[in-house]
Amino acid sequence: MKTKLVALAAAATALTMGISGCGSDSSSSSDDGGTIASQMIFGGPPEFKTRTDGIPGLKENYGVEFAKYTVTDVGGPVTVNALKRGQVDAADLFTTNPAIEANDLVILEDPKSNFAAQNIVPIVSKDKATDGVKEVLNAVQAKLTTEGLGELIGKVANDKEAPAAVAKSWLSENGLDTSGTSAKGASLTVGSANFTENEILANIYAEALKAQGATIKTKLNIGSREKYYPALEAGSLDLFPEYTGNALAYIDKNATATSSDDVYAALAKALPSNLIALDQAEAQDRDAIVVTQETADKFKLKTIADLAQEG
Amino acid sequence: MIGDTFSWLTDPAHWQSTSFDTGIPGQLGAHVLYSMIALAIALVLALPAGLWIGHTGKATWVVSAANAVRALPTVGLLVLIVVIIAPHFYGRTNAGYLIPTEIVLVLLAVPPILSNAYAGVQNVSPAVRDAAFGMGMTGPQVLSRVEFPNALPLIFSGFRSATLQVIATATIAAYVTLGGLGRFIYDGLAQQDYPQMISGGLLVAALALVADLLLALAQRYTVSPGITGRMRRSDRDGYDVGPRGGPDSRVAVLNEELASEAA
Repeated sequence: MKTKLVALAAAATALTMGISGCGSDSSSSSDDGGTIASQMIFGGPPEFKTRTDGIPGLKENYGVEFAKYTVTDVGGPVTVNALKRGQVDAADLFTTNPAIEANDLVILEDPKSNFAAQNIVPIVSKDKATDGVKEVLNAVQAKLTTEGLGELIGKVANDKEAPAAVAKSWLSENGLDTSGTSAKGASLTVGSANFTENEILANIYAEALKAQGATIKTKLNIGSREKYYPALEAGSLDLFPEYTGNALAYIDKNATATSSDDVYAALAKALPSNLIALDQAEAQDRDAIVVTQETADKFKLKTIADLAQEG
Repeated sequence: MIGDTFSWLTDPAHWQSTSFDTGIPGQLGAHVLYSMIALAIALVLALPAGLWIGHTGKATWVVSAANAVRALPTVGLLVLIVVIIAPHFYGRTNAGYLIPTEIVLVLLAVPPILSNAYAGVQNVSPAVRDAAFGMGMTGPQVLSRVEFPNALPLIFSGFRSATLQVIATATIAAYVTLGGLGRFIYDGLAQQDYPQMISGGLLVAALALVADLLLALAQRYTVSPGITGRMRRSDRDGYDVGPRGGPDSRVAVLNEELASEAA
């Protein structure tokens, strides 16, 4: 008797709760004859949905509108896995992510520069930037490539090598570790943000300068730009690996430049008088729309604009 | 901020689902669904086990072991299981994320249900149990007709605390690409849309309260009034028979005294 009552009550509770559950999403199949993007599920971080260069930017610049948006993570393993396993068809990843190379993912070109350029650039205190220091760092900058940087990150992230060791071996591979005296007498404090790529870059700069006779102190893993930029401006840090687009956006909230050269020029202008930007590298760590090789072949995708084609 | 939160919650756009954005009812439904699956599995696993352990007094270490599971960090465990399980699912399925979420929620819900079922049965007065055996009841009969009803208030309190915990924790589903009310909290933080974030938190709290209220109601109508003390003592100890106790001689005496005082 009692057990029956319990079962009845439990069923009633379940029913009341279940009724409210009935409204959950029933994904409608995409209609035929739409664009390629309209048949695709996009995966990316939550803020990409509302960021001006995110979904709104893709729509404005390329007329690309995806069918659904699945929040994955910020360019991390969840996004890569969802893309590989087909839970999403296109995703937002960073260009230096080693998983792109490892999984044959295809970065769709961004001819209209929807994503601001993020070329790697050393920011140096003006009074520390002797001709020798500039020469050494610009030589390093000339050798940095996006793919090369991805490999270095892979060595740290997957093969568990130390960033300093990775930096040293990269310098010797590129013939930049020959000892000399061109930076002799210079004394700099090198800083880095708290992510692998930035730490590797800071180590590369530090080791290259050391080899040329400079006295180097390092303050790695400082944290976000809000923390390290004031230190750089105040002079307690002298050298920092930066990204042109993000640095510009931090200094000048209203900046609109997006292409590499425009951003670099705008950054050089926006920097306070005691800081200078050295040469920008070809290497970029920016957002990119990424698809699998299979998807790219199936729809013949090369650029983001191709997603707006009839599919 | 309070005004912004209120206008976020009352914005009709947030109550509708489009193919791109899931609205409040959709996420609420998903949240309830995740919670109910976890609670149902936990109930099926933990309730019979708890009753049996309490009835037989055997394997009590299981209760301690289950309680030790509470110390596991939920988010860490979730990410670990996702990393192990998710690569095995291909295509348009979210099973690779749903299964890990349900596993961690079940692990949260099992300990309170199990230990309360065990404690409830364990704490039934030995005199009552002996009397039942003395009447010729078999072991299963004693469990189902005497120990279970007597343990019901504790079993309910275990289930209610499990429900609260699961509803509050189901927000982590949003951490691994799923929906649920956690979506608003997680997305609000990332998008620096704090009214959205606070609204998500408020909705979770409201859902938890409503669920607890429903369970409290269910408890009120299923637990025998004889063991909750809700019946007036006179009803229970009444010398007269009858479902409502009938006239009690002591009440009659009291009434006479009151009447004489008033006069």
